[in-house]
Amino acid sequence: MGAGQTCPRFNMAVLQGKSLRKTFPGVVALDDVDIQLSSGRVHALVGANGAGKSTLVKILTGYYEHYEGQVFIDGRPVSLRSPMNAFSNGIEVVHQEVDIELVPSLTVAENLYLEAFATGHSGTVVRSRQLRKKASEDLARIGFPLPVDAKVDELPLHEKQRLVIARALLRNVKFLILDEPTASLSLLEADKLFDLVEDLKNRDVGILYISQRLDEVARVADEVTVLRNGKVVAHFDFVPQLEEIVEAMLDSPQEELFPKKEKRDFGDVVLKVEGLKWRNRVKGVDFSVRRGEILAITGLTGAGKTETLKLIFGALKPDSGEVFLEGRKLKIREPFDAIKMGIYLTPEERRKEGLILDKPARENISLPFLKKLSRSLGVISKTQEVQYAKRSAEKVRLTPMDVERQAQYFSGGNQQKIVVGRWLSGNPKVLLMDEPTQGVDIGAKREIYQLITEIARNSAVVIATSEINEAVGIGDRILVMRDGKVVYEVDRSEANTQELLSYAAGVKS
Amino acid sequence: MKTGVREQMANFLLKYGVITALLILVVLFSLTTEAFFTVDNLFDILRAVSILTIVAIGVTFSVVVNGIDVSVGAVTGLAVILSTALMVIWQFPWYWAVVICLLAGAVIGLLNSFLILKLRIPDLLATLGTLYLVQGLQMWITKGDAVYKGMTNPWSPTREIAKGFVPKSFLMLGQGYVLRFGNFRGVPVPVLVMLIVALVAWFLLEYTRFGRAFYAVGGNAEAARLAGIPVKRYRTMAYVISALLATLGGLVLASRIGSGAVKAGDPYLLDAVASTYFGFAVLGVRRPNVWGTVLGAIFVGVMLNGLTMLNVPWYIQDVVKGLVLISALGVSFAIRKESR
Repeated sequence: MGAGQTCPRFNMAVLQGKSLRKTFPGVVALDDVDIQLSSGRVHALVGANGAGKSTLVKILTGYYEHYEGQVFIDGRPVSLRSPMNAFSNGIEVVHQEVDIELVPSLTVAENLYLEAFATGHSGTVVRSRQLRKKASEDLARIGFPLPVDAKVDELPLHEKQRLVIARALLRNVKFLILDEPTASLSLLEADKLFDLVEDLKNRDVGILYISQRLDEVARVADEVTVLRNGKVVAHFDFVPQLEEIVEAMLDSPQEELFPKKEKRDFGDVVLKVEGLKWRNRVKGVDFSVRRGEILAITGLTGAGKTETLKLIFGALKPDSGEVFLEGRKLKIREPFDAIKMGIYLTPEERRKEGLILDKPARENISLPFLKKLSRSLGVISKTQEVQYAKRSAEKVRLTPMDVERQAQYFSGGNQQKIVVGRWLSGNPKVLLMDEPTQGVDIGAKREIYQLITEIARNSAVVIATSEINEAVGIGDRILVMRDGKVVYEVDRSEANTQELLSYAAGVKS
Repeated sequence: MKTGVREQMANFLLKYGVITALLILVVLFSLTTEAFFTVDNLFDILRAVSILTIVAIGVTFSVVVNGIDVSVGAVTGLAVILSTALMVIWQFPWYWAVVICLLAGAVIGLLNSFLILKLRIPDLLATLGTLYLVQGLQMWITKGDAVYKGMTNPWSPTREIAKGFVPKSFLMLGQGYVLRFGNFRGVPVPVLVMLIVALVAWFLLEYTRFGRAFYAVGGNAEAARLAGIPVKRYRTMAYVISALLATLGGLVLASRIGSGAVKAGDPYLLDAVASTYFGFAVLGVRRPNVWGTVLGAIFVGVMLNGLTMLNVPWYIQDVVKGLVLISALGVSFAIRKESR
């Protein structure tokens, strides 16, 4: 990376982060990272989940008070310890969930000057006519038309992004961070965004473009930095062959994490899914799983994996499509129905969807099968319940082995074990697991993989994971989803992580 | 160390606050008035709080599923007017009056859950709407009149005198005694009803899978749904139970006063909500629970009783009630925050 360049144009600016490092207890999230943004250039930042992209964004936007390293703008050291710091240095961000930056019940004009309301610069009385006029004039000045009277919650997503960007332009943004800007956009909307990025370049804004979709990186970027495990593993001053990026993104697989695959014969097809559709997130998914088989579905965040599992489980209502269990067509309206049939799900967000945090592990484990543990009148047999919970806890090797401890006081890995444990004694026909090792430490990961292998002896297991290594490590067969469709399918014996990532990231299709 | 002591103090206060306050009140009143510490007086106090307790246990169900039912006062009032009007104006036998009132209560509970679950109106607003609706119905039944023996029938074009009356059997519910022997006056029937309601509700919530499901729905509705709990069914049940218990409270009230006063149920709403939130704090259970609510209701009742006995003017009593409710909510929500 070059040091401070001379500026041929008046408003050229360069932002340099040097030796940026951020640690959390037990984890190095970002390790000695250098990054440079220059006016009028798009710098793409790519990396797998957990590579350190969001940590870097948070440092540049002043989210952290403490980090190591230094940021320079035009060679001068600047302090980025609060969002206000970032702001006054002309650094702004458009988050993936753009809604968090807007007030949906207010108009475009009002949202444009939100900050002025907050600081009182607008005066106490807001004159809406004047505000509208000022908004139209300002937007005309920067050549950025938007419907100033429209309420924000009536705008489509890409218009909301435009609004946030317009607001940044009005504040004379110099460096703009776009965090996975196309993750929720349709293809057409994405096209508009790319035009917008081109426009911003012409306005001499320096852009940090964060994405996992390499096809769009190829389209918009001028330079590319690849992060892996908190480190810069590659930097290109041009857009290289995408295969090179894919190679750099991939971690060396940690074979020892995964249990040795025993030779197993798979039984009959247990679960079959046909033409599953839901809104614009799942666009016709078909697959089948045999008894004894582990099917891993991988793909980027937002590819439709979570939705697919939830559709099978009845937690979402499919627009169309069918689910067959052992050849019989199922009518599943609610998770209640799926559970009765022996189809179980461990959800992605354990704390939000999996556990009742202020209840002991025992109650969380027994919840789905309380009927079996009750006598007449629905009276719970406490001794049976305790035995049941302890048995499940032993099977999943819960630590600490205390079923009376509240769920919230267990570590992430052990919370996951509670959620898995609740289904074990139900003899699952199909176990659907969404990101089973997310936020789980290495030791617990290994245990969970072991557990999954054991469960798969008598069940069909479907795992959704955005970690490609995990998919290859644990799956007998791997599907890749992108934009709501299955784009690739491969047997474990022939699986190649590069190939898989290429499909997931849109390099191949 | 300093903070340790303070924390312990705070914990003690949270755990035993309501009980301590109750004991202090009882001792205070015993010292300043005679006849406070007798068995008869104990039952008098319990009888005075019995209706409140029944209504408050209903509210507790709605709070257990993480909602709130503020229509209970109006439902209580409706039961008072409807039951007496059925007996006095339309000369229904008392048991049919009871059945019809309970049915009306169930329908209101279903209406509440329809508004909340199908139309997705927030609990507080939905039941607030029902509150007005039911209050209006209550007035409409008698065209705004109170119901008493010998009233003119508001619906009669010739303004006839209503021929019905509230029979003795019905009056038993609010005024009767059971288990009378020797010098002992007996246990007032309302107290018995209250104890039965409390026992059944307590057993249901603490020892059955249904109770577990109610609490699971309140603790994390999405997690409960993904664990196979039919969440909507349980939320519906909570609102139906709440309306039914409010109706039962109204029936006891009607029987106790022997006639139908308009808006007789109104004061029960705030007292019942206050009792439920007091219940959060009792013994540090940190969740809405039946015995907490019962103690909370007794506390509210004793306080009002005592204030009257101490000749605190009526116009100050509401100020005291307000302060007490605020402190109850303050304590409950401080605990909630801490537990997260």
